[in-house]
Amino acid sequence: MNFLTLLARNLWNGPSTEAFPFGPAVTPKRFRGKIAFDAPSCEGCKICERVCPAGAIRFTKTADGLGFSCWHDTCVFCGNCEFYCPTKSVHQTTDWHLSHTQAEKYSMVESGLIPNQVCVECGATALDTAPSVAAVKPPMSAEEVADLRGRCPKCRAKFLKARRAKS
Amino acid sequence: MTDVTHTTTAETYTIPVGPLHVALEEPMYFKIDVRGETIANVDINAGHVHRGIEYLTTKRTIYQNVILTERICSLCSNSHPETFAMAAEQIAGLEVPERALYLRVIAGEIKRIASNLFNIAILAHLVGYETLFMHVMEVREVAQDIKESVFGNRMDLGAVCIGGVRYDLDDETTAYLSGALDKLVPEIDEIIATYRTNGSILGRTRGIGILKREDALACGVVGPVARASGIDYDVRMVAPYAAYDRLPMVVHTLTDGDVWSRAMIRLAEARTAIELIRACLRDLPGGPTHLHDRPDIPRGQAVAKCEAPRGELIYYLKTNDNPEPERVKWRVPTFMNWDALRYMLADQKIADIAIIVNSIDPCVSCTER
Repeated sequence: MNFLTLLARNLWNGPSTEAFPFGPAVTPKRFRGKIAFDAPSCEGCKICERVCPAGAIRFTKTADGLGFSCWHDTCVFCGNCEFYCPTKSVHQTTDWHLSHTQAEKYSMVESGLIPNQVCVECGATALDTAPSVAAVKPPMSAEEVADLRGRCPKCRAKFLKARRAKS
Repeated sequence: MTDVTHTTTAETYTIPVGPLHVALEEPMYFKIDVRGETIANVDINAGHVHRGIEYLTTKRTIYQNVILTERICSLCSNSHPETFAMAAEQIAGLEVPERALYLRVIAGEIKRIASNLFNIAILAHLVGYETLFMHVMEVREVAQDIKESVFGNRMDLGAVCIGGVRYDLDDETTAYLSGALDKLVPEIDEIIATYRTNGSILGRTRGIGILKREDALACGVVGPVARASGIDYDVRMVAPYAAYDRLPMVVHTLTDGDVWSRAMIRLAEARTAIELIRACLRDLPGGPTHLHDRPDIPRGQAVAKCEAPRGELIYYLKTNDNPEPERVKWRVPTFMNWDALRYMLADQKIADIAIIVNSIDPCVSCTER
């Protein structure tokens, strides 16, 4: 190896290191960073909680509905939650900025709430989760999904059974 | 640690080497008896970073363990979950999709390039050739960028899941990957030429830390350490897994068994890894990348093995009716390789200890988990 050539090349190309924090740090599109949760598209299956190896994801039942929390201090950014999530309502962003002050240590949490709703059919209180319709045949229209969404799990099952009988 | 000299006769001294920072920043403690500058006897003391991960695996579900095993060690972080998944798939009788097998090879070989170049760089650092160290690390950065761009993380790829792989290659990432490989090839070729001819490297590595073939067989060494001592053994060849039986696999062997031979084997394997990835990209079949949902892993036991960058990695998995495995046990390549250090260090100079220890590419975090 000719180190003089290498020296010339390195002088020409400039430093290999990134100028961060004085310049932008290159972040690839597929970078596995902080978790983001989208409550409206969540089916409430809780698979992310079960596959999370660090126990960072927790669902808690509250008076208002079902609460989601992902503690970024505990998260190992493996992406198992996103991989197994049927709707990708849990997904990893490319945001890797995790430095924080001591005072913020309990606020490095991504949280969300799946609210309660009153079933349009029977009037029972149930979670306003996205209905699981990926496997339903024939595929459901957006109006049908919205209609289904307003019901409780029991009425949803009834709705789907009636739809199957019709088709 | 504190007994710098326990026998202060005129001829022999006992010196401690380690436990911190022998070659890499991993704890390994050698109690070395020296006569003058020459090593007379070596006592290896291990167990400084035992973290109880084998126990922990029995407290996590099989699907969580794929991630946990990936975090045993950073440099072989793809081999652990891959072998664990192979064992689980064997128990459940799952057939991994063809495309996933090729993608597993790609992930494994990218890790091999980065791991081997890292060891080669550290060798230059220990020789005292810092310019070469910085250059090899810069070349390795290309492999690191591949990992970050294709898999999303510089060390833990998260490539493997039970029943396939978690990532896929689209046109954009394939183009990026082959472009990065084209950039690596001339650089690695040049590094090989440098290690073959440079006086500083040759002077410190040729004829140093020799492991004879019969000693290598007696210690049961694996990986580049075995292949540098003339043992033609590579799991990818003798018991092909993933898609290795359909790829142009080459096993490199040398006969001298010195530090230099082990370094050259690693460089040659990094070069072969590029050819394997190119062959995978060329032959990559279509189809799904993983089985749907989370297949149930029934009661059973299985043994699986793969060729990690450091050599043969064996996993034993025993499951019962719980979601957590009953027992997970793994045997890592460094376990046998560091035993061979006794032979390599015999009658060597004190100044060469770090170079010889680094030449087995010890992975203490795998071994002590």
